[in-house]
Amino acid sequence: MRILGVMFYASILILIGLSMIFFGIALSFDRLQPQTIEYINNFLAFIQDNPSSRVVAILSGMLLILISFSFAQLILGRFQREKNIAFRTSSGEVTIALSAVEDLIRRITGIMPEIKELRPDVRANKKGVITVDLRVVLKSEANIPELTARLQDITRSKIQEVLGIEEQIIIKIHVTKIISPEEKDKRKRDLEKEEAAIPFGGYGRI
Amino acid sequence: MQPEESRTDLGVVKIHKNVIASIASLSALRIEGVRRIGGGLFRSGLAEIFGKYAVPAVRVEISKNEEVRVEIPLVVDFGFNIPEVANKVQESVRSGLEKMTNLSVKDININVQAIEKPQKEAK
Repeated sequence: MRILGVMFYASILILIGLSMIFFGIALSFDRLQPQTIEYINNFLAFIQDNPSSRVVAILSGMLLILISFSFAQLILGRFQREKNIAFRTSSGEVTIALSAVEDLIRRITGIMPEIKELRPDVRANKKGVITVDLRVVLKSEANIPELTARLQDITRSKIQEVLGIEEQIIIKIHVTKIISPEEKDKRKRDLEKEEAAIPFGGYGRI
Repeated sequence: MQPEESRTDLGVVKIHKNVIASIASLSALRIEGVRRIGGGLFRSGLAEIFGKYAVPAVRVEISKNEEVRVEIPLVVDFGFNIPEVANKVQESVRSGLEKMTNLSVKDININVQAIEKPQKEAK
């Protein structure tokens, strides 16, 4: 079914692309046959004159949109289903979306004040190994090895505590930027200056 | 959606799948740590357009031998142990369905889609 969905989108896009190329080439070389233009004109005139064909055109458009939505849902649903951590209980299966784990890690920013921004990317392989890639922006020039080790520990323990899993968790940290306090102050001052520079225009004239 | 049917001395009692989904949804929401019932933008959006706002994304399947399978997408509050919450939801849904409909529940599948800040913290 997924292949069918992908084929549906691919064929529609190819059709649109081909017709655009065809018209582009035909128009640029002035090779568009008068019969073709007449045929298009006749077709449009037929739709305009015939009320039932207008209804058919509208209905087919709506049907196409509905089919397109269904395929999109199908494809996205399948992709989403693959990005899960799953385990079985006596009552059924529990799946946890990896995006939910990412949400969880993002909340750690609140625990560690040194972190300005945290962008997690969580992957899980078939062996059950969870790999977490963290891209962090640090607030001050803190001791990076100590801070990153702490972040790794907190992330690992938080995942294990909340998800209740014992599988191996690999945490990779990439420090993308360090914002110094001076930089922050400078930005604040610049912002204040900009705000102050706006002249007051008065409340209006009578 | 095909309604679940049972015969009594006086006639037939039909339970619509939406009712099963509603019971499952309400039973899940009673558990501490469950923020809301999830569901993709498309599914819950369309469901709302067509008036099925009460059961946004709970999927119900009934097999030929009258066994019910429920799939519940959940959004869990930050700070709660997910397997624990999922277990409690499964138990609550099972007891809720069995108590209210007398149906035998085969599987209650939980799909944790997101983690959000609890209401108090968010404010």
